[in-house]
Amino acid sequence: MKLGKVIGRVWADRKVKQLHSCRLHIIQPMTSNLRKKGKPLVVADPQNIAGSNDIVVYVTSTDATQAFDSGFAPVNASVVELVDSIY
Amino acid sequence: MFLAKVSKIVHSTAKHEAYSGKPVFIVQPIDPNGEPKGDEWVAVDYVGSGIGDIVVCGGAPGVAKDVFGLDLAPIRTLIMAIVDHIDYRDID
Repeated sequence: MKLGKVIGRVWADRKVKQLHSCRLHIIQPMTSNLRKKGKPLVVADPQNIAGSNDIVVYVTSTDATQAFDSGFAPVNASVVELVDSIY
Repeated sequence: MFLAKVSKIVHSTAKHEAYSGKPVFIVQPIDPNGEPKGDEWVAVDYVGSGIGDIVVCGGAPGVAKDVFGLDLAPIRTLIMAIVDHIDYRDID
């Protein structure tokens, strides 16, 4: 999994049905001392965990589909934790 | 899998249920003689490691589901072993 900061949101009416009622955030990957690292990406938030400017943990690759209750969605990045603090 | 050093603890209350009750760490990948190499990862601990430990991390898709016995496990990076000793000789 990776750390990231929610820097934006994507709204889309027409999308695959698994993504209906699932927020799509734009996330900037960060290091643990909160410095930008790498390119922003779109991350699904099926558990409605994150809001704007939050620091989150997101899982990538096929494990990202496991964040959906159905266990399946055509995604490769999902939010799994809202970070309170890191030390 | 990769060698890494556990560097920080990630504290979180709002999370996917597969993460509840499991320690989550920041790990810094290292090469066999301990030099940091590569980007940090967030890893779920399964073997009781702590900050400063040298560990073996990694995971194939779906491994966490078996390891933790969950039916849904959005976990990719798992701390699988705490390293006691590394015997290693680089070849040029």
